[in-house]
Amino acid sequence: MRELILVLAFAGAGLLGYKLISDVPSLLHTPLMSGMNALSGITVLGALVSTAAAVTTGSAILGFLAIVLATINVVAGFLVTHRMLKMFSRRREGS
Amino acid sequence: MLILQLICIAGFVYGIRLMSSPKTAVAGNLLGAGAMLGAVLLTLLGEGILTLPLLWAGLILGSAIGVWLALKVLMIQMPQMVALLNGLGGGASALVALVVIGQGGEMNVFTWFTTGLAIIVGGITLSGSLVAAGKLHGKLSQRPFHIHHHNLSLWLTTGLMLVSLALLSVGIGSPVLHGLLMAVVSLGFGILFTIRVGGADMPITISLLNSLSGVAGAIAGMSLHHTLLVVVGAVVGASGLILTQIMCRAMNRSLWQILLGKTTAAVKTTAPMALISEEKQHQWEESLQAAETVAIIPGYGMALAQAQQLVKELSDKLQAQGKEVKFGIHPVAGRMPGHMNVLLAEADVWYEHLYDLEQINDFLQTADLAIIVGANDVVNLAAIELEGTPIYGMPIIRADQAKQVLVCNYDTKPGYAGVDNSLYGMGHVHLLVGDAKDSLEKILNALEGEPAAGGEAGLQPAELLEAAQRVVIVPGYGMALAQAQMQVKRLIDILQSAGKEVQIAIHPVAGRMPGHMNVLLAEVDVPYELMYEMDQINDQFEQVDVVVVVGANDVVNPAAITHPGTPIYGMPILHVERARHVLVFNLDRSPGYAGVPNTLYDAPNCTLIEGDAASTLNALLQSLRAAA
Repeated sequence: MRELILVLAFAGAGLLGYKLISDVPSLLHTPLMSGMNALSGITVLGALVSTAAAVTTGSAILGFLAIVLATINVVAGFLVTHRMLKMFSRRREGS
Repeated sequence: MLILQLICIAGFVYGIRLMSSPKTAVAGNLLGAGAMLGAVLLTLLGEGILTLPLLWAGLILGSAIGVWLALKVLMIQMPQMVALLNGLGGGASALVALVVIGQGGEMNVFTWFTTGLAIIVGGITLSGSLVAAGKLHGKLSQRPFHIHHHNLSLWLTTGLMLVSLALLSVGIGSPVLHGLLMAVVSLGFGILFTIRVGGADMPITISLLNSLSGVAGAIAGMSLHHTLLVVVGAVVGASGLILTQIMCRAMNRSLWQILLGKTTAAVKTTAPMALISEEKQHQWEESLQAAETVAIIPGYGMALAQAQQLVKELSDKLQAQGKEVKFGIHPVAGRMPGHMNVLLAEADVWYEHLYDLEQINDFLQTADLAIIVGANDVVNLAAIELEGTPIYGMPIIRADQAKQVLVCNYDTKPGYAGVDNSLYGMGHVHLLVGDAKDSLEKILNALEGEPAAGGEAGLQPAELLEAAQRVVIVPGYGMALAQAQMQVKRLIDILQSAGKEVQIAIHPVAGRMPGHMNVLLAEVDVPYELMYEMDQINDQFEQVDVVVVVGANDVVNPAAITHPGTPIYGMPILHVERARHVLVFNLDRSPGYAGVPNTLYDAPNCTLIEGDAASTLNALLQSLRAAA
């Protein structure tokens, strides 16, 4: 049952995402992509949970590595997106 | 707990919604980041793992590296940055799945299957993205790289992964071994898959990898039964898929072609011969007129044709037009040492214009045009390339290094050494076969033709722009390579302050990733209101006075409509050729990534200004300012 819910959530979120992303103008496609990139770092949640539950040292090391990689992904992703988007709105603030 | 998760999801969704307008996008991104932070804290609290030092160490280290990366990256490097981050995300998902496998515990078929799949998709994303980033960053060759039995290797690795996945799911064999096998094989698959994609197809590839990184996260979420992960991963997957579709459409490519390695990046020019030779007719005249620095390389053939006087006339005329002219004299040119110098001196060529082999070779590296008059072996590349030929090892004048080469030889037969001249077959070499006197007359006529043309066609770029009411600028990746964004921005400012309407037309595949050109222009403060997508502006070009193309090639090549059979045929293009005038600021006439010569350059309403876009635009800006 839980599995079915997960698969349905995947399909539903995919459709919702498709609709949402279609509305983003090509003007913003690069920041969109880096922003989505940051979101794909959501896997950091999984990394945290599984590392906390890791029993062997090997698993803990892999888990630690996963946390680091995913966090780089999240932080750098949001930050570069921010840098880009600020450039797009810079002029409005100025004038 | 569930409610808090739903709030996070709402934060992500609304954040993406805000991304659909430049006015609200900053807030949207911050909202997304906030939702992410919330989700992390929620997870730490909810699982009761808030105080584990290992987790915090990972988070802090990752954040520090992330901040450092994000602050140092240049806007032009954004594609490789995104590719790199994609890879890290995918790699993290694969690692999470490996940890899950290592823990073992109670797992059913669904869990085993999704865990294995997360390893596969994550591994492919990691290695594929790293290869893509390496290619985009110039660490790896942009050329497609093939190994023996490339397709077979891909099928074999795919088969191996699927078999291992199936065995893992039904519980045959050691889960850890399956996990490691899938990790290694998927990394190999990712490399094989990306390494043969050419530089031109990179926008499609990184969009696809973007999608995969989201899918990897979602599948890892299924394995962990983590709904938030599944939902957000699916959204990212869909986003990457849309961008992949958009890129494919804009480049006239099908995803399958790219997956199967049928790349556009033409190693050789694939255009029909007729197209080339017809084009070359006009080409040498234009490159002659546009050249700023010219090397003349006389050989004994000039003396045989008694064409010294005409050569002298030619050099005078070029100099009178403000061009820099140098004669390159090969030590063995003529029939005795210094022979050629004497012959030229006789025709009143000033000796200070005569340069020896080494000097002229330095000059040729940056020369716009080399004119060869009756010289053969001394410019034959076989002396460098073809071991075993009689002239191999002989020092030669490197006429081939000039941007364009004009050869006035009696015929294309080999010279004294009996070795075919490999120069003749090169793309930037134009042959004027026949008596050197006749050929030189032709060249002189072509030179005279330019100032005498008069009327509209003879107007200089600056004059065209001054007279224009409505101007559209079409930037391409060449602009970014020349770092000419600032010049484009100044051009816009000057035109606008003169009361002209200025728009910027952006082709969907301009740049190296979706929306790349917009970012580069935003970086130099070009307001986004001026940027128009292809569909918005394409039907308006008839009303445009002047189109300024800066470093764009394939996306404005009418061959996409007129020449069936070329790789770009059917690709949607910006119809700049319909405007009254087109000014093209490109490095040279050579074809773009698709390898198809641009027929726009030969259109009567088109003026091609060759050279580094930053300097050619600077020259334009100067004349515009001078006039103002």
